[in-house]
Formats: sequence, C-alpha cells, structure tokens
Amino acid sequence: MYNYTTFDKDFVATRAAQFRDQVQRRIDGSLTEDEFRPLRLMNGLYLLLHAYMLRVAIPYGTLDSRQMKALADIADTYDKGYAHFSTRQNIQFHWPKLQEVPDILEALATVDMHAIQTSGACIRSVTSDHFAGAAQDEQADPRPTAELVRQWSTDHPEFAFLPRKFKIAVTGSAQDRAVTKFHDIGLRLVQNASGGPGYEVSVGGGLGRTPMIGKVLRDFLHREDLLPYLEAILQVYNQIGRRDNKYKARIKITLHEHGLEDIRQRVEESFALQRARFDGADQDVLARIEANFKPPAFKAASTSRFETQRANDPFFNAFTKTNLHPHKNPDYAIVTVSLKAHGATPGDASSAQMRALAEIAKRWSHNELRVSHEQNIILPHVHKGDLPEVYEALRLAGLATANIGLISDLIACPGMDYCDLATARSTNVAQGIALKFDALKQEHSIGPLKIKISGCINACGHHHVGHIGILGLEKGGVESYQITLGGDGTQNAAIGKPTGPGFSADEIIPAIERLILSYLTLRHNASESFLTTFRRLGPAPFKVTLYPAKENQNEL
Amino acid sequence: MSFENPAISLSARVAELNKRFQNTDTVEMLREITSDPAFGKLALISSFGADSVVLLDMVAKIDRALPIVFIDTEMLFHQTLSYQRKLAKDLGLQDVRRILPSREAVLKRDSENLLHRYDTDACCTLRKTEPLARALTEFDGWISGRKRYQGGARMSMDLFELDAEQRIKINPLAHWSREDLASYIAAQNLPKHPLVAKGYKSIGCAPCTTPSGTIGNERAGRWRGQTKTECGIHFGNNAPARPVIPRAVIVTDEGFETEDWAAGFHSFASLATLPEQEKAALAIDLKGDFVAKDLLPWIGQIDLIRVSFPVFSDGRGFSLACQLRLLGFVGRLRAKGHIVADQYAMARRSGFNEVEIDQALARRQPEPVWQARADWQIRDYQNLLRQSA
Repeated sequence: MYNYTTFDKDFVATRAAQFRDQVQRRIDGSLTEDEFRPLRLMNGLYLLLHAYMLRVAIPYGTLDSRQMKALADIADTYDKGYAHFSTRQNIQFHWPKLQEVPDILEALATVDMHAIQTSGACIRSVTSDHFAGAAQDEQADPRPTAELVRQWSTDHPEFAFLPRKFKIAVTGSAQDRAVTKFHDIGLRLVQNASGGPGYEVSVGGGLGRTPMIGKVLRDFLHREDLLPYLEAILQVYNQIGRRDNKYKARIKITLHEHGLEDIRQRVEESFALQRARFDGADQDVLARIEANFKPPAFKAASTSRFETQRANDPFFNAFTKTNLHPHKNPDYAIVTVSLKAHGATPGDASSAQMRALAEIAKRWSHNELRVSHEQNIILPHVHKGDLPEVYEALRLAGLATANIGLISDLIACPGMDYCDLATARSTNVAQGIALKFDALKQEHSIGPLKIKISGCINACGHHHVGHIGILGLEKGGVESYQITLGGDGTQNAAIGKPTGPGFSADEIIPAIERLILSYLTLRHNASESFLTTFRRLGPAPFKVTLYPAKENQNEL
Repeated sequence: MSFENPAISLSARVAELNKRFQNTDTVEMLREITSDPAFGKLALISSFGADSVVLLDMVAKIDRALPIVFIDTEMLFHQTLSYQRKLAKDLGLQDVRRILPSREAVLKRDSENLLHRYDTDACCTLRKTEPLARALTEFDGWISGRKRYQGGARMSMDLFELDAEQRIKINPLAHWSREDLASYIAAQNLPKHPLVAKGYKSIGCAPCTTPSGTIGNERAGRWRGQTKTECGIHFGNNAPARPVIPRAVIVTDEGFETEDWAAGFHSFASLATLPEQEKAALAIDLKGDFVAKDLLPWIGQIDLIRVSFPVFSDGRGFSLACQLRLLGFVGRLRAKGHIVADQYAMARRSGFNEVEIDQALARRQPEPVWQARADWQIRDYQNLLRQSA
C-alpha cells in the first residue's frame, strides 16, 4: 500500500478546505453555476436525476481496512447506509447534500482519501489491474506507475480544462485485467530487448457511443520518459482535440480524424520540448513509491484445512472453484468477493458489509482490499489455510455468492433509476438474468461468461466488451434492448457486434435464455466457453435462435 | 413580420402604426390587428396576474382561438395557477399555452430551486426570458398588457414597439390608467385574482413578490429591496441596458492593479508588416488555438503576449502558455478574459505572469478570492516531479 507523505496529506486537506470555500461562494452567488460545475466535478460531485452524487477516488482500486471502514461510516452518516462500487474502481454515494459534501471530503482526508478528478474534463483517477502485486501471472507490478501517474495528474495546471474527460489505465500482466485497450491511454509494463524497463503506450481506445480499440503509439518507451511523454500526448490533445461537439471530443476521435502518424509526429515534437523539464526527480519519487509496494510478510503455515474443507463442504468447494485466483505465493490465494448476489443491484454494498470486509481484510488479507472494474471486492492476499474462516465470515455478511466470472457476475450501469442520461433501466435486466439462471441452476454448467449492460449509448456498463452486451435504448417511448455478441476487454480486444432489432423489457430475458440454451447445444464440450464457441461459429447460429422465423415463434 | 414592402423599414412601420392607432378604441384596435394578415401570427402574453383579465376578456370577445402564452416559472403562487384555469374556463379561451422552463436547464442551473435567492436576474432568465423566447419563435408579433402608469421604463412606452428580435410588440393598454382598468373589470363583472384582495397589485413569482402597499408604484412589491424592476422579458431595443464598465483589472500575486501597458496590442498577422518604431514596446494578442512555434521568428522581440480565454472551460491557453515558455519566451505573459479565481494557480503554474479580467468579474470575485490562490507555488505535484530539491 502507498503511504501518504506529509505533502500528500497537506494537499488533500487543503483541497477539502478549498472546496468548502467554493461551495460557500456558490451559495452566496460569487460563483455562477456554470463556473461552479467544473469545480465540483473536479471534486467528484455530480448532479444526477434525483440528487447529487459524490464519486470518491480509490486510486487503482487499492484501499486498506481503515479506509473501507471510513467509507462505511460515511455511508451511514451522510447517505442511506450503502454505497455503490463503480466500473472505474471508485465508490459512489448517491444521496449527499451539497452543504455536507465539504464535511465528507474532510472525513476522507483524515484517512488519506479524496474525490479529486473522479469526474470533469480532466485526467481522471487512474485505474489498474485489481490483482496487482498478487497475481501469479504478473510480470511487473503496475501500482508504482499508477501512483506516479496519480501524483503527476493531480491538479495538473495545463490539463484541468481539456476538451473532454481523459482516462489512463496501467497493467503489468499478459492477461489484461485493466481493459487498457479501451482507455484514452493504456500503459503496459514491458521490457526492451536488453531487459530495460519501460512501457508500451496505446492511445485512443474507448467505449461510449463510438467504441474504438486503442492503437500503439510507442511500442517501447523508457521508464524515465513516461511523464514527459504523457505530457506531450495531453498537450497535443488539449490543443487539437475538438471542442465544438462533445460527442467528438475524446482523443479517440482526434486520433481517428488526424491519423496515427500525424498524432505520433506531433507527440514526438512536443515530447522533445517536454523532456527537458524533468531532471530525474520523478524517478526518485518512483523509487520511493516502489518501496511502499513491497510484498507483505507472507506467513508459512499449513494449507491442509483448505483441502479438508473443500472435501467436506460442497458450498465452500463451489466458492473456491469460482472465486479464487492463483497467487504468486502458492500457499496463498486471491479471493474475489462478489457484489452480485442474485437479485441485488450489481456493485452495491451496505455499510455493514463494508465493515465486515474491512474486518476480514484486517484479519486475513494483510489489511488490503481492492475494487475491481467488474464491481467486486478483492482480498488480494489470503492464506489458503485461512480460507474456511474467511468464507464463513463472508457468508455471515451475505457476501459468499459463488458466481465470479459466471453469467450472474455481470456489470450494469445505474440506468434510468438514477441517471439522467439513461434511456432505459438496466439493473432490472441484470437482476432478471441473475434470478432466471439461478432458478434454472445452470450457472455453473454455462461457465465463464461476461454479460455487460448499459442503460444508454454512453456505455457506462461497458456493453461493447461484454461477451454478451445489452444496450438499453428508447424507441417510441418504450425501452428497447439491443444485444451485441463477441466483445472482449482483454488483450484480445474486440468490440461486440449488434445482432439485429432490439427486444422489449419483457422479451429481453427470454432472448438471453434462448441465446444461452443454443450455446449449450453448440459448444464442443463443457470446457469450450461462450466466447470461444462464438469465435468458432460466428454470429449466424446465435442470430437464428434470437430471431426465430415467424412459424417457429408461434410454436414457442 | 410579414409586411410586404421591404423598402419601408420596420421602425418606419412601427411609427406609422403608432400614428394610425393613436386615437382608436382599444377593442377596435385589437380587432383590426388580429384580423389583418399583415401582422402575421400573433400571441397574447399573459401572466394571469392582477389585471390581466382586462386584455384576456377583450381578446376572448374578438377571437377565443388566439394563442395565449402563459409562462409558468414553476415559482408562481398557487392562486395564480387556479386563477389561470378559472379564467380560461370562464372566458372560453381555446388556446392557452402553459410554457415551462427547460427541464434540462433547471436541472443544470437551479436544481435546488434556490437560484432566486442569490441571483434574481439569472432566475428570471432561466424561468421567464428563455422560455418566452422559445415560445415566441413561432410568432410574428406579440401582445402585452403593460401600462405606462406602472412607472419605470414603462412610462415612455408606445402602443407599437419592436423587440430585440425585430418582432412587433403591441401594448394595447399602454395609455390605460389604474382607474380605467378598475372600471372595466367592474363593468364587465370579471373575476379578480385572489391575491388582489390581500394587497397585491402586481403579481409575479411567489419568492420575489410582496404586497405593494396602498400608495406609490404598484410594482413596488416586485423584487422588493433590489434595484431590479423588470424581469427581462420586456427589454427590447429601447430598453435600459445594464451598465457595463469595460475597464480591465490586472490580477497579480500582489492583488488587483490597473492596466500599466500603454502601447497597445497587435495581432500576430500584423507583425510581419509592423513599422520598426512600433517594435520598441511590442505586445500581441493570441488565441488559444495558436501554434506556438509560428512565433519563433519574433519571440525575442515581444515584450508582452496576451492569450485570450473566451470561456473559462476552454483550457487551450494553458498549454499555449507552457509551450511559449518552453520555446524561450521570457517576456510578460498574460491570460485575458473569462478566468475564474480558482484557475489563478493553474494560470501561474502554466507560465502566465498575470490575469486580465473585466470589472464585472472583478466585482463578483473580489481581490481576496484571488489572493487566496497567490500561494500557487506550494502543493505543486508537478514541480515535485520535475525538479530535484
């Protein structure tokens, strides 16, 4: 875990005080709403359908027990006793009052947290692999880079009023769990031929109404060139990114309109100037940050209780099959705690559950927690011998749902129930799918499957990268759900393709059911996943089942 | 307007109309203008306030189908709403259009319905002026119930005027007195607004209207305690403009100062042809989209560069300032325009020496607010990462 320096502490405390003053000036009229809006957005405060929403940063999804407990306290004191973990590895409180937001920011500052740059047309809170520093397949720990980027981007004077928001993600594994190909900038930790550390830099990925896969701008960037190179990209974007149309303002459109070669040339030109501004101080800071991310003191103990319990308890056994991921230390496991109990709103957690997670992490996960972009909570370092106790504690808190990676572990945006942009509900579809397949008891036989649901074209539910994506639109006053197939947010990045006409709110769950049943008959064997089957066969057989001919429909 | 002969200017038309109808009976005039195709499509704008019933009654007797635009600011007295429904029914008005403020705009600018407390002008703009402007786009002219005796700018009002959109605006009651209205209402036995009995003589939105009192200006109860007398929908060509003082304020770390650069500013395009003697003290204006390297041939000769910020949310100027410094510009660098105090630190860190704002912004965001960010050199992450201590 990164430990705040006195500089960091002073920064967030001062920032909270500044926001208190800005709220006061908004209320007394010396700031207009137009002027206040970007200031509150830069401090995470949105105005949604019914009320304000405060999005608190959990940089690269990493937090400790003390911080999780503080978030639970905030949920109780200022909200309705729960909070929502978002697809950006952040946490959202949906009912704060404007006048109380400065108090919340102050409370956050006491545990080294903030809501800085979680919204607005600036560089957003950086995201990363939620298994960072723990996963067996990790090549390099992305967290020090992510923290360096966090510090560099915080209150950057040039880039607080960009054409549009700007998202940076970092990964250090071959298996890309940070969706880097769909970020404005995706950084992949790599080595050059002589083993020197550096980055592969991708630019211009994104979802939203124009989904694009990021393109490699530099296949190898020396580690010490990172910050000036990022400044060069941002400077080019700040100056030539479109400001006339917010739907064409992201860097993916800039890249698309100017072409990769033109952007590369501009970036290199700017980089040549920017490079001279860094005398190596950033590398000293990086070294200091790296020291914060040393692995915890893993214990040496027997793991036999893990095997015994698996043999004895079928529920525990099922949990270990879906919710564990291999750890660097073979005696340890990474536990993913599902916030997708069947029928619940994906990503929501009660304050009691947050406190239980804080306590479990303190006792059994070296005090550490992570938030995944798939809206689950990770216990990154759990000794296998402790797993039976961890499972029991999770079960008591209603957090032992064994569905990670399965059909009910789906992503959904808040949809029309909360969001003023949404054109359809999304959580009801999510709940409907989860309950349907839970009732059929088919979830485990279906195997790995990512369903992602967005309630409007802005794609906050990442439907473009769902193996099955569902996009809720409004057609003639009624909700219409369009299905896309074959999306993939990993290193094999692909954008899902629409299957055809949309389905009504009543038709969508039966349509998904037809789709799954046809997959079960089409797959080679139980180990061929939905995505693999889809890639082998293409969309045709799935379209047939989604849109049966009229005479067949009558028989159904 | 749809007057046929474009050779005759609109203002000449208006003058002619004022002359033609100066001695015509009000009902007769209304009958003529609503039946004359030359006036195009007309609407009556009514607040359903204290004496709106007079004009509504006249119109109902001439043409019940005439569109009547009623701006519901969503801040009205509930008595106004029930009175509106009653009048529409009693008089048989067939086309009352209740116009609401834009949902989206209210959500963005007044989500808590408190805007009226700190900026009545902005509230009137949001809830009255903008909705009316939208509603009027389909009409060629509009009829209002204003009277000269109400005072203020209304004292010099004519029967016919042009509004800011060059639409004809008709004030059939311009010359009516308070007594004329009272006797018309009594003679026709028309229902009164329920709040009239409680001392209200002019009725607007609930938060900004108080009883008028028995003597003096009957609109005295509107925006009481403020200099404001009109909501803004009746400002047109001849309206009293709000005072704007264009004098610039220069903000530095020391606070507010006045302009000390006397030599004037040139455009970039004029640099190539500028006489040598003008270059002794040289300042230029640049826009945020300027390509910094184009300035290289002149960069050593310029004393002051002023970068414009048309809106504070356009951050291109910050990057331009950075690049100018990196390219070696060592003179004065000034950000000009819509910069808010909260951006002062950003401006300074990007390489600007100073900020130029207008008096209106300086009044709204006074010196101490800017001085609070004169500490821009501390808590600077980027500096920490760029230069070793």
